[in-house]
Amino acid sequence: MKKTALRSAGLAGAVAVGLALTACSSGGGATADGPAEIDFWGWAPGYADAVAAYNASQDDVKVNYEEVSPGAKGGYEKMLNAVTAGNAPCLGQVGYETLTSFAAQGALEDVSDIAADDEGDFSAATWAAMSVGDAVYGVPVDQGPMALFYNTEVFDALGIAVPTTWDEYKAAAQQIHAADPSKYISATYLNYDYAGFDWQAQAPWFGVDGDSWNVSIDSPEGGEVASYWQGMVDEGLLSPAPMWDQSWYTGLGDGSIATHVGAVWIAGILKGSAPDGAGKWAVAPMPQWNAGDEITGNVGGSGTAVLKGCDNPEAAWDFAHFMSTDADTYSALVESAGLYPAATDLLTLPVLSEGDDYFGGQNIYEVFAESSEHVADGWVWGPNMPETVGFLDDGLSGAWAGTGTIADALATTQQKTVDALEAQGLSVSE
Amino acid sequence: MTAVTTNGASARVRRWRTPWLFLTPFLLLFVAMYLAPIAFAFIQSLFTLQRDGLGLTAPTLAFDPFANYARVFTDDEFIASLGRVLLFGVVQVPVMLGLALFIALLIDSKSARGRGFFRLGSFLPFAVPGVVAAVMWSFLYSPVTSPINGFLESAFGFTIPFFSDALALWSVANVVTWCWTGYNMLIIYSALQTIPAETLEAAKIDGASSWRTAWSIKIPMVRPALILTTVFSIIGSAQLFNEPTVLKPISGGAITSTYTPLMAAQAQVAAQNYPYAAAESVVLAVLVGVTSFVFFKITGRGDR
Amino acid sequence: MTPTLASATRPRGQRDTTPASRTGVMAVLLLAAFYFLMPIWWLIVAATKPAGHQFSGSGLWFDGFGLVDNIALVFDVNNGIFGRWMLNSIFYSGTAALIGTVVSAMAGYAIAKYAFRGRGVVFGVILAAVLIPKVMFTLPLFLMFNQVGLLNTPLAMLLPSIVSPFGVYLASVFAAQSVPDELIEAGRLDGAGEFRIFRSVSMRIMTPALVTIFLFQFVEVWNNYLLPAMVLNDTSLQPVVVGLVGWSASNGNVPAGTVVVAAFLSIIPLVIAFLSLQRFWRAGLTAGAIK
Repeated sequence: MKKTALRSAGLAGAVAVGLALTACSSGGGATADGPAEIDFWGWAPGYADAVAAYNASQDDVKVNYEEVSPGAKGGYEKMLNAVTAGNAPCLGQVGYETLTSFAAQGALEDVSDIAADDEGDFSAATWAAMSVGDAVYGVPVDQGPMALFYNTEVFDALGIAVPTTWDEYKAAAQQIHAADPSKYISATYLNYDYAGFDWQAQAPWFGVDGDSWNVSIDSPEGGEVASYWQGMVDEGLLSPAPMWDQSWYTGLGDGSIATHVGAVWIAGILKGSAPDGAGKWAVAPMPQWNAGDEITGNVGGSGTAVLKGCDNPEAAWDFAHFMSTDADTYSALVESAGLYPAATDLLTLPVLSEGDDYFGGQNIYEVFAESSEHVADGWVWGPNMPETVGFLDDGLSGAWAGTGTIADALATTQQKTVDALEAQGLSVSE
Repeated sequence: MTAVTTNGASARVRRWRTPWLFLTPFLLLFVAMYLAPIAFAFIQSLFTLQRDGLGLTAPTLAFDPFANYARVFTDDEFIASLGRVLLFGVVQVPVMLGLALFIALLIDSKSARGRGFFRLGSFLPFAVPGVVAAVMWSFLYSPVTSPINGFLESAFGFTIPFFSDALALWSVANVVTWCWTGYNMLIIYSALQTIPAETLEAAKIDGASSWRTAWSIKIPMVRPALILTTVFSIIGSAQLFNEPTVLKPISGGAITSTYTPLMAAQAQVAAQNYPYAAAESVVLAVLVGVTSFVFFKITGRGDR
Repeated sequence: MTPTLASATRPRGQRDTTPASRTGVMAVLLLAAFYFLMPIWWLIVAATKPAGHQFSGSGLWFDGFGLVDNIALVFDVNNGIFGRWMLNSIFYSGTAALIGTVVSAMAGYAIAKYAFRGRGVVFGVILAAVLIPKVMFTLPLFLMFNQVGLLNTPLAMLLPSIVSPFGVYLASVFAAQSVPDELIEAGRLDGAGEFRIFRSVSMRIMTPALVTIFLFQFVEVWNNYLLPAMVLNDTSLQPVVVGLVGWSASNGNVPAGTVVVAAFLSIIPLVIAFLSLQRFWRAGLTAGAIK
């Protein structure tokens, strides 16, 4: 199931009861004689093979892999419960957006002293995603650099050039909708998909300021992104089809939704759920706020985190690093799970250099390799993302439907998040 | 106490013990699965989560018995969710039961043909689990591809905005009504069947019309069934969770993560704030228990 | 057969109705039937359409035939996890309902057939429990199971599902109505133990009623979503309703068309149970209604 991994790596609106996305575990350890044993919980297809490849490659460490439910579907909860009970595995798959929440539950082990030498192997954004402040909690595995997916048929028919800036994007939106009122440039975006825009605009939602959380969901930079999209809603330029709903897939397939600005794993979604769009879609760089810039954002991705209580973090790190950087192992992960590597050396893997018929023969990964180099710095996830995106979606879905505004949604989310954190005694600055 | 004593003291002891032995498995499970969790939740609700700084260590629990309850009663969203469920109950329960009673009377009337078909037809939705029904209706409500709106649009040129602020609650109510009307109808219908034929004959001889008979004889005689279904329906609306949760993603923000009290409590579980979730569920359980009990007393059923 | 089960339909003539009233009644009933059956009809039609076309066309009439392929697709996802879910549902519902019925029968029988100190209190507590919905206990159960390490085990699903205050209530009503005191007395005179009498005399008489209790509990457990969604994390442990909602919320991981087909398949067992066991349903509902 290639798509499962794409999606779980990409994360989702967690309808499920429970925490958000990934799962984590620690535990296991070296025995006096024989190889050190490390337990690892994850769910991405292909991880079992990666573990087998690692075990076959050396004799010092033996990794035991257990597949758990995707994080938001219970895997995270299982890991947190195991940490509480003191019997967690050493390693767990944790989505970037959830990593900080895990850290804030005291569920992760700081391995910065072991990790220091390997920082250069990974893109800056993914390395940062596995860290909170100075602490490093694991090895990044994949990433979700963003780009513009667009329907060439719609753009060609109207003679519109592919937009390179957000201004051009809006102009295209107006042209498309004016030519055919049943057609829209895009559907709307919630939670982590919306976060990608603020990420690109260098408007991080959180920051760490000494011993305090800095909450900046309602920032001036974020406000500009909000007012841009508010303008799109006010002019009726966005499809009412909710993202991930059947109507969204239908729209992507039949051309009534002409673009989607999203991460690399959206390619798998299009192929799997909008088969009617085959041959029509293509990928271009993410539109920019200032012409000539090339700043992008990231949506999704996960890493291998070291869980609290792991008594052999060196061995755990050795495996996690291997899985994220070994070319053969990772090529298999690309094939089986559709992962897009966090390790910069792997972006040129042969499996990422092929044309794709769905995208008219385009090698879309060239665009994403470029994008991944330009993912904006400074993005930090907050200590309770499931709660924060819950607040956000309540306001944001109303704003997209015309009740309330995006700016209000961000302001409310900011306020509620701060209140909730302070209620638990966390130190917060705004 | 003992109904009959046959042979002496040992039998009496045995007889005294027997009912409790029969009751033991149930009572044990009841204590473990009903009382213990509520007690546990109550205890947990007396604590608050405490962290400091960046909170990068496991949170600790502090005993602060009123903090969570003080927050519950000033939590605008939780209170709004209670109000919403109350409005839902006040409107949906009478509508559904009125419909159930009406259909039951029609099927019971002399003019009906194919009683078996109609009885079963309206009962069939009960075989569809609530969440599955909600998944099904979510396709029928889908903002863009709704087959209902597709039909209305082509036939009459208008569509129903299922998730406008005014309609969202009633779109949820419709799913509940669809699932449960047939079930309630059958309860009422079964009660109608137990009305003695002579009573109805007598009414006919007195020249009462069908409507008159229905109003003055049938409905009063199925009053216990109506009370029973009302109580169960009130209980049902208080636990509203499945349908709005499934419909939330396509509701365009009309259904929020704290739409009903249970959803609000679940949101706290998702946020890992178990003590507050516990406080919310304790408050809710008490409110529901009191409401059902009061209704029961008012209608006199509890007097028996 | 309990009296309620035997309650026969009153004979009633059709002579004294007018064509107008017949037409009116039938029109309203047909309208109601349309409302109740239309969504199910839509589901059946959609499930039979070729894969990927579940949402095209009018929705109310067949358009091509792909049911067999669709079913294959459903069983294709995650190596046939759907079959596992169906079996899980049958296992949880069957086991909980079976044990639950016996437990309820014993408790209800004791309440109906023995006079003992504390009977009123026990009955009052059971009635009160009927009045507080089970769902209210789900979150507390989750918190408790979390503490004692029962989360993510079948027991976390089964134990709460076995307890059914409503089942006890029904059993006591049935026992009071159908088991004659004389029969119990006769058993005692023959020297049979109380449990033996219960097992070989009373249970036998109560059997049709117990089937009803079993069915109601089976459906209740089958339809329960919140409890398994909270206490069972592993996909392989989940019942079909949780699995289905997971698919439907999987952001297209599992195509919506497949979800529709799976929803259709998931209701078949209960629909069959409803159609084939109608008289037991009505018996249970009648018992609830007369009291």
